[in-house]
Parts: sequence; C-alpha cells; structure tokens
Amino acid sequence: MARLREEIRFIGTLLGINLSSAMAYRASFLTQVVGMFINNGIYLLFWLIFFEQFGTVRGYEGADILLLFAVVAVSYGIGLTLAGNISFNLSYLIAQGRLDYYLVLPRALLPHIIFSRLQASAMGDLIFGSVLFLFTGLWHPVDLLLFVVVTMLAASLFVSFGIIVGSLAFFMGNAQNVSAQAFNATLTFALYPNTLFSGGTRLILYTLLPAAFVGAVPVAVIQERDGLLLLGLAGAALVFMGLATIIFYRGLRRYESGSAINLNV
Amino acid sequence: MKGRQWRLVGAKYGAITGANFQNQLAYVGDTLSRAVVVWLFMFIFVQLWGWAYETRGTAEMAGLSFGATIWYFLWAEVMEMGKMRPDQRISEEVKDGSIAYTLVRPYNYLAYHFFYGLGDSLMRMGLIFLFGSPLVLYYVGLPPFNLVYLLPWLLIVAQALLLNFFFLSIIGLMAFIIEDTNSLHLIYQKLVFILGGLLIPVDFLPGVLQTIARNLPFSLTTYAPARLFVAFNWTDWVQLGGRQLIWLVVVGLVLWWQYRWAAERLAINGG
Repeated sequence: MARLREEIRFIGTLLGINLSSAMAYRASFLTQVVGMFINNGIYLLFWLIFFEQFGTVRGYEGADILLLFAVVAVSYGIGLTLAGNISFNLSYLIAQGRLDYYLVLPRALLPHIIFSRLQASAMGDLIFGSVLFLFTGLWHPVDLLLFVVVTMLAASLFVSFGIIVGSLAFFMGNAQNVSAQAFNATLTFALYPNTLFSGGTRLILYTLLPAAFVGAVPVAVIQERDGLLLLGLAGAALVFMGLATIIFYRGLRRYESGSAINLNV
Repeated sequence: MKGRQWRLVGAKYGAITGANFQNQLAYVGDTLSRAVVVWLFMFIFVQLWGWAYETRGTAEMAGLSFGATIWYFLWAEVMEMGKMRPDQRISEEVKDGSIAYTLVRPYNYLAYHFFYGLGDSLMRMGLIFLFGSPLVLYYVGLPPFNLVYLLPWLLIVAQALLLNFFFLSIIGLMAFIIEDTNSLHLIYQKLVFILGGLLIPVDFLPGVLQTIARNLPFSLTTYAPARLFVAFNWTDWVQLGGRQLIWLVVVGLVLWWQYRWAAERLAINGG
C-alpha cells in the first residue's frame, strides 16, 4: 500500500514537471492549444452544416453530435494530457532502444513511461470538449457526474489502446506509422455516429478499434442514464487495461537495448 | 536565357525531383501504410453520403450523382494527402540553422523545395489513388471521367499543387517569427477541409458559406481538381483555372516578398 502511495505521488510529480516544461514555451503552448481548438471547431462546423442540409443521420441529431464531440474530446484530452507517451511515441521509444533510461530506474516501468510526456495540443481538446458540454444543455448534477465518470473511463480506454498499438514495436520493429494510424482510426470512427455502421464494421468498432467505447457508448450512458451500460463500459476499460499491461510486458521480453546515448532533462 | 541554359536548369531541377522520387520508392512500404488510411476515409464517406442521398431521395445533388461524389472525395483526398509539405522542411531548416547551407547552394531556394517536394508528392498521389480506387470501384463503379480531358484537367491539378506549395511555404517561412508553425498548418488544413471542399463539396455548402468558399483560394487547391475530375466542362475549367492563375500571382508575390524579407533577416554566425 505504501508502495502504491509512493508511485501515485511520483506520478503526480511527473505530471507537475510535464506541465511546467510545456508552459516554459508559452507561445508554442498557446498556439498548440488554440490550434487544436480551431481544429475541433472546424470538424464540428462540418457536422452542423451536414445536419442543416440533411437533417438527421440514422437517428443522430445535432444535439447528439455535440455530446459525442464533448465526450470524445474530453476523454482524448484527459488521456493524452496525462499520459502522452503512448501510440507512436511509445513505438518510437521502443524502436530506438530508448526504454533503457526508464529500465534502470526503481519505478513501475509502464506508468513511468506513459506519464513522462504531456501532449500540449490535448489540452486544447480538453478545454474544447468541456466548453462544448456546456452547450449540450445537460446541466443536471447526475448528467454532470455521469459525464465525468464516462470520460475518465473513455480516457483510460484511449490510453490502454495507445499502449497496445505502441507496443506493436516490440514485435514489428518500426511500428510508428501503424500505431499512429490505428490510434487515429479509433479517434476518427469515434467521432462519427455509430449508427452509420453495421455488421462487421460495428463489431470492429467494439473490439479491434475500441471506437464505440470512447464515443457512442459513453454518450448512450449519459443520455439513457443506463447503469448497466456504465458497468459494461467500466468492464471494457478494465479488459483493455489488462490487455495493455499484458501485451506491453510480454513485448518487453523481446526488447533489445539500444546503444544510443540519451539525455533526459 | 538561351535554349541551352534553359535545358540545364530543367535538367537540374528535374534531377532533384527524380532523386526524391527514387528516395520515396525506397520507402514504398511506409508510403503504402499511409495510403491505407484512404480506405478508412472512403469507407466512411460511402456510408455517410449514401445516407445523405437516400435522405434527399434524389439521384443527383448539385449536378453530382452519388458515384460522382464518392470519386470526388477520392480525388480530394489524393490532393490533401499527396500535397507537398514545404512548411515542415523550411521550418526545420530555419530552426536548426541548416537554411544557412541550403541558401548558398547553386539553385533557387524555393524552386529547390518545390521540385524536391514534387518527387515525394507525385509518388504519394499515385499510390493513394491506386490504393483507394478499388474500394471506390467496388461501391460505385467507374469514375465519370473522359480521358479526352486528361491534359486540361492535369493543368488544373498542377496549378492546385503550386498554389498549395505557395501557401505552405509562407507558413514554413513564418518560422522566422514564431517557433512552431505546426498549428498554422493545422489551421490552414482545416480551412481547406471546410472551405476547400475536402469534407463537403463546395456546391453542397449553404448559401453564404458557399459564396465565401467560392471567393477564397482554398477551394482552388482541392475542390477545383476534384470537381473537374468528376464533372469536366470547359466553362468551369476556364473559370476555375483563371481564378487559380490570379491567386497564384497574388500568393506568389506575397511569398516572394516574405522570402526576400526572411533572407535579409537571416544572420549567420560562425562556420
């Protein structure tokens, strides 16, 4: 228990350092945050135009898209603001033999790696999603509580999936592109109404690419206040977390140290 | 310049394009893995726009059938994913100082980046189109393109590539002022997504937004070649091509002025 507390304190310190170093380059930090804000805004604008022109998309209306964007943006924002060393960043560290730095330190390896980087642009997602949620009209405390819970679960799913695809580098060598694409594909699919897809595609969105679990399912939990669905989402988050841990540590056995000299400041 | 000099200049820049084209051939696996993404986008577009046409209950919208719209999106994706990225290379050179070496070489700095990027761009555009076509063929059949119009259409594609190059070079040279130009690229890219016709053809935009999109140059980099690919007619060709030329002059002048300003501002210390 004392060890766990110590690890949590260590992660807290890491997050503080990440934030300070990101803020050190204030102009760059701000442009990244604002850039991401505009980026998300344009996608949302597309949907608003689409709904204005064509009405609904298989049961999805403008309000549903607002909530979907809010959930996905906040989840992604939380996940990558806290644990930015996933997906292609993790693949890069593995392929370049840069895990050596972490391996020699007396800390839990996986948390130390993933929490060592903050993606500044993800803070733009976090702010964008939070602002957007205010426009959904879901101001009841239960809705707010559900929003917080489901976005935390979806954030953990994003991180777990990022670890899984990042760990592909243990097995494939250079897996930066593959992991980036799988991660982006999940994000892309998550931002579309899942009613558009059926059959095999829908099965993929619940398994290989957990897009439904970071988009449609959390939205349904909030809209229907469905406790059972919430439990299902928590279960999926646990399963993906377990899978990520197993795949990472299995892969670690295949890790070959690099001879590169790294300087981590 | 005399004929022989022109030939030498042509050979020099042609060699730069050829060299990078060969470079990209060496990393064809990497390029192919990027091309896989086009399947994802095309699949989503087929589902989404299939629904839109079903909802409207019409065979055509703004003169485009469902099949033509899907081919439009494939070519729009080819333009977007295959475009040159001089902004990345120029801003890197500015940041790490290697611009000091590239500037003194016996070629025009901007022309070098254009022809270098062209090799990479042609390879990517070809692969993305080849890769995306089977999926689109499977869903909607052959594209409504007549090979008779190939040359005039290619001219529109070439002008679109050049206009994109001008815009992105301006963004790259902004590295002299701000540290990170990525966010500027992100904003430019998103303007192309909406006002340039990547996510939705300009013809489908509502009233005011459509007028704005038609009067801004972003649609000329993506919408123009994609629209003429699926619905070629000489009136549109003259109108879109003419507007491309006007914007090429305007944006080209801004780039040239910015380049000269940046070159004068460059301070090289030491060796």
